[in-house]
Amino acid sequence: MSKFIERPRYLCTLGGAIATLKVLPRVVPIIHAAAGCGGNIANALHGASGYLGSGYCAGLALPSSNIYEKDIVFGGEERLTEQITTTLEVIDGDLYFVVTGCMVDIIGDDAVAVAKRFHQDGKPVLAAETGGFKGNSYKGYDIVLSKLFADFVEKNPVKEKNVVNLFGIVPIQDVFWKGNLNTLKALLEKIGYEVNSFFGEGETLENLKYAGAASFNILVSDVYGVEPAKIFEETHGVPYVIATLPIGSAGTERFLRTVGEALGTEKTLVEQVIAEEKARYYSYIERLADVYNDLDFQRYSVVVADVNYAPALARFLADDLGWLPELVVITDVLTEEEQQLVEARFEDFTSGIRPKVVFDTNTSNVSKHFNASWPRNNNDRYFDSFSPAFVLGSSLDRDFASSIGAPHLSVSYPVSNRVVLDRAYVGYRGALSLVEDIFGLLVESR
Amino acid sequence: MDYIKDKAPPVREDRLRACNAYGGSCNNLVEQSQKGCLNGIKRTFSQTQGCQLNLSLAILNTIRDAVVIVHGPLGCGGANLSVAGINKNFQQLRDSNARGLLWVNTNMGESEVINGGENNLRDAILHAEKEFRPSAIIIVNSCVPAIIGDDIDSVVEGVQGEIKAKIVPVHCEGFKTKIMASAYDAVYHGILRNLIPELDADAVSKQDNKNQLEELQEKYRMSRTVNVLNVSSMSRVDEYELVRLLKALDLNLNILPCYAHPEDFLKATEAALNVSICATHDDYFVEHLKTKYNIPFILRTIPVGVKYTNRWIEDIAKFFGLEEEAQRFIAQETKLLEEALEPYRALFKGKRVVIGGGEIRVVANAELLTYLGFQVVGMRAYHYDQFADEMLEEVAESDKVPFNVATGQPFEQANLLANLKPDLYVGHVNNNGWAGKQGIPVLPIFHQSNIFLGYTGVFEFARRLARVLRNSSFNRNLGENTKLPYFENWYEKDAFSYIDEGNV
Repeated sequence: MSKFIERPRYLCTLGGAIATLKVLPRVVPIIHAAAGCGGNIANALHGASGYLGSGYCAGLALPSSNIYEKDIVFGGEERLTEQITTTLEVIDGDLYFVVTGCMVDIIGDDAVAVAKRFHQDGKPVLAAETGGFKGNSYKGYDIVLSKLFADFVEKNPVKEKNVVNLFGIVPIQDVFWKGNLNTLKALLEKIGYEVNSFFGEGETLENLKYAGAASFNILVSDVYGVEPAKIFEETHGVPYVIATLPIGSAGTERFLRTVGEALGTEKTLVEQVIAEEKARYYSYIERLADVYNDLDFQRYSVVVADVNYAPALARFLADDLGWLPELVVITDVLTEEEQQLVEARFEDFTSGIRPKVVFDTNTSNVSKHFNASWPRNNNDRYFDSFSPAFVLGSSLDRDFASSIGAPHLSVSYPVSNRVVLDRAYVGYRGALSLVEDIFGLLVESR
Repeated sequence: MDYIKDKAPPVREDRLRACNAYGGSCNNLVEQSQKGCLNGIKRTFSQTQGCQLNLSLAILNTIRDAVVIVHGPLGCGGANLSVAGINKNFQQLRDSNARGLLWVNTNMGESEVINGGENNLRDAILHAEKEFRPSAIIIVNSCVPAIIGDDIDSVVEGVQGEIKAKIVPVHCEGFKTKIMASAYDAVYHGILRNLIPELDADAVSKQDNKNQLEELQEKYRMSRTVNVLNVSSMSRVDEYELVRLLKALDLNLNILPCYAHPEDFLKATEAALNVSICATHDDYFVEHLKTKYNIPFILRTIPVGVKYTNRWIEDIAKFFGLEEEAQRFIAQETKLLEEALEPYRALFKGKRVVIGGGEIRVVANAELLTYLGFQVVGMRAYHYDQFADEMLEEVAESDKVPFNVATGQPFEQANLLANLKPDLYVGHVNNNGWAGKQGIPVLPIFHQSNIFLGYTGVFEFARRLARVLRNSSFNRNLGENTKLPYFENWYEKDAFSYIDEGNV
């Protein structure tokens, strides 16, 4: 089987690791790698992610050992030691986290041991091997979280019943990560929980440090964060429940019930919150009754996204908007078991719609899958065309959308044609923003 | 110069004794550079930067009707994700049918690190050919295949016979050099070896197809044609300005290498002269075209600002014996420009400015800002080599103005700006946010959407400067509401404390 990827929608392990660390409050990543790794990653984490910016100490400010040929020959541990020492002098942070690139992993530098020596001297320094060849960005997220859960989160045998941790939203790969975390936290607070999401608004490293006191981990992904969740469970005895990313009324209802059931939340409270939120949601959606029905705003649609977004978006389109998401392309690198897990998420839409789901990492193959699932017109007098249509994908999918004459909204990474700040697409409230953005495009020319 | 027989070019530390770490006065820098003492300076604290693969892609991504294969793990070339959209627009300014940036990553994982990645590369080449039928397939080689010993040239040799696209391997492994600008040599090396026809073959094909008259016409056309070498960080309007300047001397232009079609390079040898706008960008290319095809070149200056634009035109005019025409044109252009600039001069007078960017551009820009009435109080360049010596020597008060050689390294910049407290920062795009967070008004230059070159560029630059100075509230607010990651005591130390000259 061929392994190359045409226009991959993620970076390497190191890229995902830096992305994760970059958005943790007052955490300073230190790269032990060749000079260009950080610079290349910095550009992708900014310009392909709704113009996130360099952040507190990322972008080209990322401390980096910038090893080159000589260090590769003689080993780079000495240079790393020097770089950590000077970083502690210059950069003001609460935690310093060394991440490694391919070259130092290949030559066998022991960055973890170097970091440990600083740790023994009382310096807040951690390290993990994140050489790019180990996998993609999602792997980097898993490695960093696992390390933090194992070595940074304080052990606490006493659990607080109303405290939970929330993860599985991969920052930056989910361009709307911060808004999404805020929205989900607010929702979980309504059913009575205090939530650590580590990356959310107003959180500090303390939220992570004392996360061991939580009674449950809520994981919003079938694939991402599963490994760290297992490590959390082993280390701190906190079980986890998977409740996948919810977008819109249908998805969020399920999300709240799944969480409530696992955590033993009082059922009436959960139902009451669902009823309240749903009422608010429909008090806005109701406004579209006229335009949807006067201008016929039902659409065929294609979704191109990762495992978190793809089922969530498709369910929202099918069950909330009454659209026809005929084709879903999931662009992640997945094992067969993971594919089966994700596929099952498309089988129980309340609308009865069941999109065709394909797993393909190559960008130009989206067109091929579309052509294979919807016949082209062969000069027939009458033809059931894929029209009117809409494409939800990344900014790489604009060419495909225009090839089928469909409007397009960038939702999945990379997003280079939008600016994203605190916008959320999850839950009830996020779905309202998504409706604004989608229908906004439908009325754009008016 | 002739390195073309080698698979890869030498790195710039070796070829040019270039350096990327220095802090001190301009005149001392020139002195050290001329003595060759800059090589080997390093930093004990460093921040990340680009590598030669990143910078190679900045050029190669612009080539139209090509597919770029990044041979390496998934992250290499990842920054393409942020430029894929805009790249298509820029390509379409040259050809409305251009498809934009297409790339394939060979996705080297753990098993390839052990078993080699040549099969991945071969598959990717075949896929690129079948899927896109491009004119060229450009391979950029990253660190991992280099260290595990993938022989990409053999892969290319093995597969070239099966495919129509011309394959261009580029050896730009990041870890081989600290001087990002080695990328220029790596890219030109690939182009020279693979896209430019061998001299003999070229001559034969011409003899076959042309009669005597056609040959004479062709010869005349060539005698009035110059290759103008562009850079990926200039705009289409910059190119129009250069065309305008040289059309005034009745010269024809081939614009290479950025945004060119692979076949455009076939014509690279059909010019009377190669003209660079940036010596450190082009010396490898023009030297080779001189050695192999006997085409002379002009490498001296960059058409930024009045003084250097004049010099650029004069040098070219002299080559063609058109000095008088050039002087008439220059006189007319500068008169018009001076009149247009008059209303701005009062606003600019005495304002203190720090400049950042490529070595040649920074020095030229300093001259331009001084001409406009600013006081240049500091300069930062990505790297330094001999090509800036002549221009830097011409900087006024060169013993007083600090010069910082740094590829990125925003911590040194933050220290400099905190202490110099300039009224304005003028910087090459992509690392200007930090100055903004310090509350300083910023004018970005070398963006692919702005004009900066030639006389028109001077006026547009002045106009933009006036605009930025008119309301700098955004950055002032940033300055009041954000904090850079450095400890307070960093600003009290010498900005160059972590530059270690111990190994020089």
